[in-house]
Amino acid sequence: MLTRMPLPHAADLTPTRRSLLLRGAKLGLPIFLVYMPVGAAFGLAATSAGFTFVQATACSALVLAGAGQFIGVAALAGSGNLAAALVATGVVNLRYLLFSATLAPHLRDVPRWHQVLLAHTLTDETFAVNIADAREGRAERFSMTGVGLISWIGWTLGTALGAAAGSAIGDPSKWGVDFAMPAMFIALLVGQVTRRREFVAGALAAVMALALSAWLPGQWPVVVGAITAATVMTAVPS
Amino acid sequence: MSPTLAWGLILGMAVTNTVIRLVPIAAISRLELPDVVHLWLGYIPVTVMAAIVATQVLRPGGQWMLVPDNPYLLASVPTAVVYHFTRSFFGAIVVGILSFLALRYLLG
Repeated sequence: MLTRMPLPHAADLTPTRRSLLLRGAKLGLPIFLVYMPVGAAFGLAATSAGFTFVQATACSALVLAGAGQFIGVAALAGSGNLAAALVATGVVNLRYLLFSATLAPHLRDVPRWHQVLLAHTLTDETFAVNIADAREGRAERFSMTGVGLISWIGWTLGTALGAAAGSAIGDPSKWGVDFAMPAMFIALLVGQVTRRREFVAGALAAVMALALSAWLPGQWPVVVGAITAATVMTAVPS
Repeated sequence: MSPTLAWGLILGMAVTNTVIRLVPIAAISRLELPDVVHLWLGYIPVTVMAAIVATQVLRPGGQWMLVPDNPYLLASVPTAVVYHFTRSFFGAIVVGILSFLALRYLLG
């Protein structure tokens, strides 16, 4: 008599995918905890600028670009010029071109649809966590999806809460939200510096970006400083 | 704000950001890159993060802010130290924000 036998392949695969997703979600948990309050600050800023609750929440769900969203909404509210606001947010997010290129060799065998999903959840924080994990040889597409998904939930949920609470929260800066993103970046940076040459590369990029900030607007100093420092380090033999 | 403008911004930003993030992945993930390109890309995470941190803590809000009146710069020290020794993002961020609040209060 035939009994319903589970396919061994499928049975092995399902828990593996789930455990990889969960592992990614665990890696991304600190990002979730930072995105909640900063997302709430965005929800508040967006509703103050005239966005509805649905618009603010949809913006975070569809765009997922911290500083880019703040700048886009502020630019639109200030000028009423849609094209200018889109250019402003595009310039702020240029660094994602570099992140995307850096991540690309690790996504060689990932199906196209999954590349789109991972591209959508590519942020400074998910990038740093995933690239560090990839260098340890552990990151793969489902763990990266877990990192991206929990970050996306934190950012969207935070925005919804901020937009719903509105002015009841008061000024979010009184809770120290201003330092949440810098603190996250500092930890991510410390995690990136594992060798002397990385320290030198980072110091060079920092000095370049600060020097250029007198002349270049927006995120251009960061992009140009990072590219220049990476090029110098590649050209100078160790 | 008119619904047309708001949705125009949301959808426009969604398309812009997805294109910026997807194009390099879609274009080069299947290619064999020369070693020199891998070497160059290997420096990108640390150089971008360092450039972001430097501008955020020394030029918060786009203006120079130097010691001893800069709570961003001073609070970055305990944040970095806690992360270096504990490897805990959460611990580093909590200590960072608490230090920032204390410093901002003390510095006026």
